[in-house]
Amino acid sequence: MTTYIIRRLLYTIPIIFGVLLVTFLLFNVVGGDVSAEIAGKAASKETIEEIRREYGFDKPLFFSSDSQFIDHLKNAVTFNFGRAYDREPVTAKIKRGILPSLSLTVPMFFGLLIISISLSLVVSFVRGSKWDTAAVVICVAGMSIPYLSYILFGQYFLAYKWGLFPVFFSPDLSPVQYVALPVIIGIVSGLGSNLRFYRTVMLDEMRSDYVRTAFAKGLTTSRVLFKHVLKNAMIPIITRVVLAIPFLFLGSLLLERFFGIPGLGYLMIEAIGSRDFRVINAMTYISAILFVIFNLITDICYALVDPRVSLD
Amino acid sequence: MDFARKLAPVAFIAALLTLAGCDSSSSKTEPNQITIHSALGAKIRGLDPGDIGDTTSALVASQIFECLYQYHYLKRPYELISQLAEDMPKVSEDGLEYTIRIKRGVYFADDACFEGGKGRELKAADFIYAWKRIANIKYLSKNWWIFDNRIVGLDEFREYTKNCKKAEDVDYSREVEGLQSPDDYTLVIKLKKPWPQITYLLAHQPTTPMAREAVEYYGKDIINHPVGTGPFMLKLWHRGSYLELVRNPNWRGERYPTEGENGDLKKGLLADAGRDIPMVDKINWMIIQEDQPRWLQFLRGKIDASGIPKDNFNQAIDLQRKLTPVMKRRNIHLEIFRDPSTYWLGFNMEDPVLSDNKPLRQAVSCAVNREKYIELFTNNRGEPAYGFIPPLMKAYDPAIKKMAKTGYNPERARELVEEARQIHGAELPVLKLSMPGTDTVFRQIGQFIRHNLEEVGLKIEVEYMDWPTFQDKVKSKSAQIFSLGWIADYPDAENFLQLFYSKNASPGPNNFNYSNPEVDRIYEQVAVMQDSPERTELYRKAERIVIEDCPAVFMLHGVAYVLYHDWVHNYKPHAFGYGLSKYRRLDQAKRAAYESF
Repeated sequence: MTTYIIRRLLYTIPIIFGVLLVTFLLFNVVGGDVSAEIAGKAASKETIEEIRREYGFDKPLFFSSDSQFIDHLKNAVTFNFGRAYDREPVTAKIKRGILPSLSLTVPMFFGLLIISISLSLVVSFVRGSKWDTAAVVICVAGMSIPYLSYILFGQYFLAYKWGLFPVFFSPDLSPVQYVALPVIIGIVSGLGSNLRFYRTVMLDEMRSDYVRTAFAKGLTTSRVLFKHVLKNAMIPIITRVVLAIPFLFLGSLLLERFFGIPGLGYLMIEAIGSRDFRVINAMTYISAILFVIFNLITDICYALVDPRVSLD
Repeated sequence: MDFARKLAPVAFIAALLTLAGCDSSSSKTEPNQITIHSALGAKIRGLDPGDIGDTTSALVASQIFECLYQYHYLKRPYELISQLAEDMPKVSEDGLEYTIRIKRGVYFADDACFEGGKGRELKAADFIYAWKRIANIKYLSKNWWIFDNRIVGLDEFREYTKNCKKAEDVDYSREVEGLQSPDDYTLVIKLKKPWPQITYLLAHQPTTPMAREAVEYYGKDIINHPVGTGPFMLKLWHRGSYLELVRNPNWRGERYPTEGENGDLKKGLLADAGRDIPMVDKINWMIIQEDQPRWLQFLRGKIDASGIPKDNFNQAIDLQRKLTPVMKRRNIHLEIFRDPSTYWLGFNMEDPVLSDNKPLRQAVSCAVNREKYIELFTNNRGEPAYGFIPPLMKAYDPAIKKMAKTGYNPERARELVEEARQIHGAELPVLKLSMPGTDTVFRQIGQFIRHNLEEVGLKIEVEYMDWPTFQDKVKSKSAQIFSLGWIADYPDAENFLQLFYSKNASPGPNNFNYSNPEVDRIYEQVAVMQDSPERTELYRKAERIVIEDCPAVFMLHGVAYVLYHDWVHNYKPHAFGYGLSKYRRLDQAKRAAYESF
């Protein structure tokens, strides 16, 4: 197992390098210069040149010991992301955004996971019935509705019309109050695809011989479903769940913007809009590292839950 | 053990929610405090006035910082009055020397940067320091344009800073001949040439004084720590989310104006004449970038005043441009006022296809249906433009509509296209329009322009890009036609005419790269003239020349619609004034009644 982990960790180096290269190419080669935007509406040529010097845009892109790409790699390796184009340190921005993002995405993640797995067990148990058909139809309909519509309708009806939740973040509200509605919207909007996925997984298991045997032995339905079926369906569930964890740190772009939650999704959308490469780079780099780590954790989990999987 | 394991996610979520709420604990509303609740449609980039280049940051900073002069809140036409200055400047006969006396007893807000945390008295040297700082090229200020080639010795100071390694290495004690403080309360400014607009600029946010202690204490983090002399000071700022200002106990105080323009008395705008201001304790700003939550928060009474999102316009305003019954029932008030703005489709006059083909440029101008554009994309919140000077400006020429021959006229456009073809000597190439956005509205505008041009036999390809890419394209002269506009910084048409001065070509503000010796001559002449009928006539003459040369399709001048709740008093729109929260009065009882409604 140790050899495997070391080997996998070594594999991450070219992957992270690739991510850094692609982000750099996208924003520095394809995207073009942002100096004029930083300089303001009536900037002189010399101010723009000074900005280019200050931010290192005047250096060669590649093929030089102090090229922009080498700087980019150095900053990534040392986690020194510098200051964003609005002069605030990138690290400070990220640190500030982590908790609000997680306070939204973690309850959403657990809520969605628990509800969709529980419902999928029930639906797969009543497979072929009108309840099952209704659930599939609702799932497909739910998946077809654009994410933005959930937000607009939820905010308008649940918050504004019926007054069940605050419309927007306010500093005198408790986090539970301002996070509740976006969490509900996140869960409801994700339920269709999740339920459909887990239903398929559970159905595969329900058709297995051991389920019939378990029922024949007189085990209760809940014991068969939650003790045996769920355990055997863990591989696809783990894949989906563990790989979703890195994305929790990225927050939710739209929910954060519509409900004023100052998290990392909000930060990312701002950075993309203003082409703040330093923020985008930091976020992409951190996400890539998290993704690779959680990918490795997924593989380790396979071995833990399924004795047939060996990592050697 | 099993129970604890099951409970772990719940505990984790609870911990997260608690930690996420830690920052906001200090911002609970105290019961007797009168608070303005506002919303900002964009993020605050920073609160260092020397580097502020966006209106959102300026709006907030102007409550904290003050300038030498300010606009009279109620009088129209706009009039400057003193703020930190004792009185209006004493100007030498040749117009080259300004002597300004500074008020005594003005103190910076208390801050850790000062000795003992106690704000010290403002001195003339604080202005000199702030302006030298803007001149320091290593500081990368967005506002050097204000002082560029204006003050004796300041350009040389900027040259000197080019040799410094970083902003902190600059020696601010270095003498600048044109900026002197004979004593702590006198500021003498020596100009290279007469600059009548200087007083407007001395009321412009970036020229506010800065406490050197604050800049040195906070270093680059000064953007988060504004230390000013104004009526409010920063209490809490959660960047990207909300900001809270409270009264500055060190503020010297002012009184609400006792005079206004005709009709102000009737509107109740003089009810507080002579009262001590500010009349509120706190300002809360929420940053709400999306239209729907901003609008819903306003309707809920969580925000005192709001613009009207495009999609909600019909809900608020009827066909007679009045409030709808729904709004009236809520006792919402409406203010409609002209913006000092002009929007256009600019031509790059260095583009080989456009530069020598005036009929082609005029054809494009005659092809665009401004009225339809205003109706479709602004809910009629605009007036068709025929020139670049907005109707709000004194130099606006009411006869321009009749004079300008480049207004919407598809018949004439077709004739001009024929003429343009002959000049080009072949079939006209496909034109390229650059749009500064990629969302649906920009795409609809692009389609509208393309359709208009196709109607008269012109082909155009529309490119959509984000704002930084667009800026780069325009500033590097690689855009052929571009959609842009200008909002005046001060009420003088010089602010618009400079956009057509050849020495201001890209990356300067003349994005058209337009050059006409006669316009240059007039600009140089008016730029040093005091306000007079002769100067107004020269502005109009320059505008007519520009319209004839057609470096742009002048599209519209903006008209703003603002709604505010019944509990807000002393609300008068101001096209140039910032820092106006100090004049507001709020009726708490009405607000409470609305909340229950």
